[in-house]
Amino acid sequence: MDRGVGAFRALRSLAVVGAIGILVAACGGGSTANQGTQLAADQTLRFPLNDDIGSFDPAFINAAVDAAFAQNLYDGLLKFDDNLNIVPDIAKEVPTTSNGGISSDGLTYTFKLRNDVKFSNGDKVTAKDVIYSWNRAAKAQGDYASDLDHVVGYKDVKGKKATTMSGLTSSDDYTLKVQLTEAAGFFLTEVAFNTAVTGVVSEKAVTAGGEDTWWTKPETLIGTGPYKMSARTPKQSLDFVPVDNWWGSPKPVLKKIHVDIIADLSSAIAKYDQNGFDNVGFGDMNGNIPPEDVLRIKAGPKSSELKFIQKTRTTWVGFNYEKGPFAGTAGKDLRKAFSLAIDRTKLVDVACSHGVTCSAATGGLISKGLRGYLGDNADPLAKFDAATAKQLLQSADPNKTKIKGLVYQYNPGAFNKAIAENLQSQWQDNLGVKVDLAATERQTFFQRRTKKEYTIFRHSWQADYDHPQDWFDNLFITDAGNGGTGYSNPQLDALVKGADAKKTEDALADYKKASQLMIDDAAYAPLVYGVGVFLTKPYVKGPQPNAFNDPYWNELSILQH
Amino acid sequence: MLSRRALIFLGERLVLIAFTAVAVSSIVFFGVHQLPGSAFLSDRRIDPAALAAIMHHYHLDLSLWDQYKLFVAGIVHGNLGESLVNRGIPITPLLLREASVSLEVGATALIFTIGLGMVLGVIAAIKQNTWVDYLATATSVIGYSMPNFVIASVLVLLFAVYLYNWSGGVLYYEVGWEGTYGTPGQILLPAFALGFPYASIVARLTRASMLEVLRQDYVRTAKAKGLSDRIVIIRHALRNALIPVVTILGPLTIGIITGSVVIENIFGIPGLGKEFVQSILSRDYNIVIGVFTFYALAIGLANLLVDLLYTVIDPRIRY
Repeated sequence: MDRGVGAFRALRSLAVVGAIGILVAACGGGSTANQGTQLAADQTLRFPLNDDIGSFDPAFINAAVDAAFAQNLYDGLLKFDDNLNIVPDIAKEVPTTSNGGISSDGLTYTFKLRNDVKFSNGDKVTAKDVIYSWNRAAKAQGDYASDLDHVVGYKDVKGKKATTMSGLTSSDDYTLKVQLTEAAGFFLTEVAFNTAVTGVVSEKAVTAGGEDTWWTKPETLIGTGPYKMSARTPKQSLDFVPVDNWWGSPKPVLKKIHVDIIADLSSAIAKYDQNGFDNVGFGDMNGNIPPEDVLRIKAGPKSSELKFIQKTRTTWVGFNYEKGPFAGTAGKDLRKAFSLAIDRTKLVDVACSHGVTCSAATGGLISKGLRGYLGDNADPLAKFDAATAKQLLQSADPNKTKIKGLVYQYNPGAFNKAIAENLQSQWQDNLGVKVDLAATERQTFFQRRTKKEYTIFRHSWQADYDHPQDWFDNLFITDAGNGGTGYSNPQLDALVKGADAKKTEDALADYKKASQLMIDDAAYAPLVYGVGVFLTKPYVKGPQPNAFNDPYWNELSILQH
Repeated sequence: MLSRRALIFLGERLVLIAFTAVAVSSIVFFGVHQLPGSAFLSDRRIDPAALAAIMHHYHLDLSLWDQYKLFVAGIVHGNLGESLVNRGIPITPLLLREASVSLEVGATALIFTIGLGMVLGVIAAIKQNTWVDYLATATSVIGYSMPNFVIASVLVLLFAVYLYNWSGGVLYYEVGWEGTYGTPGQILLPAFALGFPYASIVARLTRASMLEVLRQDYVRTAKAKGLSDRIVIIRHALRNALIPVVTILGPLTIGIITGSVVIENIFGIPGLGKEFVQSILSRDYNIVIGVFTFYALAIGLANLLVDLLYTVIDPRIRY
């Protein structure tokens, strides 16, 4: 046969096969309308990430995405339940003064450990493992190592004068004593925040797998959690399976967790629509779902599969309290004027896709739903009152000379830009003040903000754990490391110091008083709270995510569908 | 069997490609170190001790020159270092795997580009000024003027969304790959999106070239000998008409390699193009350098292959 003619025919055949191939690329799916209450035969949970995880080493975990997995791989002495209450984990009970777990001066914590806790390799967990894990984390100086900074000896380990914290001792295999340098009512919260730093790891596994790489391989990633990693293809997929005869409860029902890494979450949502995923939003993806997809789904027949939750991030306008027109007591009226001139309903419409990605911050800087939240509409600085704002401006700066040439600084990003542009427009319309915008590269922005070089700027915080101490000590007390404003109120400092030493329940009133002091000082202009979006198939049974965490995998199951 | 001269040519080119890759990676190395920003910075917590520890881990506390020496020593041993963002991931095996995925899609796109382009071009030429010609030319113009990301998005919408809904989930294009390599069905759409604009260029060139060749005396002679049109076109005309097409294979391959950056992200393909975007967005500079190095190698090797292909198409060319 003529070779050329043969090639011609082959091409024609290829074209036909290609066309059919596209159409039959994959078959499957089916209706999800008939799910029942019986468990499905295939107990596999599938969801996407838009990038690989950063680290599964509790000493280095610093991102919510990593924590979302780590909470199923490791345990700490305590943990948060689905409602963010602190509950026992490896410890038998939560230490209190009444059960003798906390000394009367609040300086000594005694944890009684369960004696049936095992690593996934079958080794028993003792107090020595907890001490090893905490010392290792303090030595590693990961981003959250400072959660241990109240433990006696932490500073020596940090300063490389010691390798172990002298404040950690064990009288027997199942009793751990922790000595603190000063009373810290939030200490139990930090202990329960076990996905970073306080998670218990196996010294044997770390030594066998290598200090830096043990957690990267399924065979040496040894934890105490209900699941273990069974396979990992970097930047492509992750798989997890339940630990045989896991010691805790409830016992895992899901037989496999499969995670695909798909950079474009719109593509991931298309795959969810094809029943290729059971959820989009787990693994801290709930803040990354494109608003246009959310709006499309919200308007369609699958709107019930959308769940919105309040996140732990607040965004506000920061004012320089040390220099410039907003400084000190003299600048209070101007600060207030700039806050009252913002119509947050409009802001949310424009910058948050009609409230899809965020909601108006009307209850103080501590995000809605967290301890220390003041309540809806409790923050007078969040009210829109253009008339009062103009009056305040008129009295504080009649000729507008003080605020001439103001520049609102922010770090680049679509959300930050939308907020900045809307603020600019509203200050122009409602105050008659022209404010220029300047986007400064992220690193430089943070450095200059920390050095208090900006007059008016974007500020935000995402809570590490559900305790007001995380906000006040990091942001609002005098010389707070992440403040950036220079705000200082000795009354607030004293209140926070006292509150920090108290039990959380007893301290909340003081923290709220401290928040009120900031409102009285008009120390900030509140903007928005973050909102997280989850897409979950109706056949996924289990608790809803909370502001911080996905549900634990061992609480989930797949119903017949 | 290659001649001694050809072997020398090949050796020289391979050395040049290696040198280019090292030069490109060095330029990118120094370039990214001048950029503001860091993979380690967030607005959550800035602990100087923690930052110092991690900088030390990645040798970022050394002088730039010392870092460069370590980098070159690594690259000579095929070691591109460790990801800054995804700790513990060695870059070389990661990029090798991703490059093989991109190669799978890119090669399919290239075959598709040449195949469809040639078919359209030949048909348009032999049916000049008929509706077939106009249709083939119009198809080419559409392909030529539509960016590949538009084609990709439309294809996803049609085959992954509309077709899924229309067929009740029975027949559809499955978005996102299970496993490292895609199935033939999964590769076809991205390959089409990647290759269609270039197929249009090939079609236009083939058409013009064929029209010229078909007017040559030797084609008239072949026809006069009584050969069928099909044999004249395929055996006598097409081979000569292909030479101008081969000349653009180099830039075309480069276009497909760089075009994969967009296509892989839209189709959820775990290849080098997806890595290119992700590593830049996450400021994972070690991977950025690695990806550029791989691209430099890929483009160099593609050009070499095209040069070698000349000798197959045109016997007058010898190295």
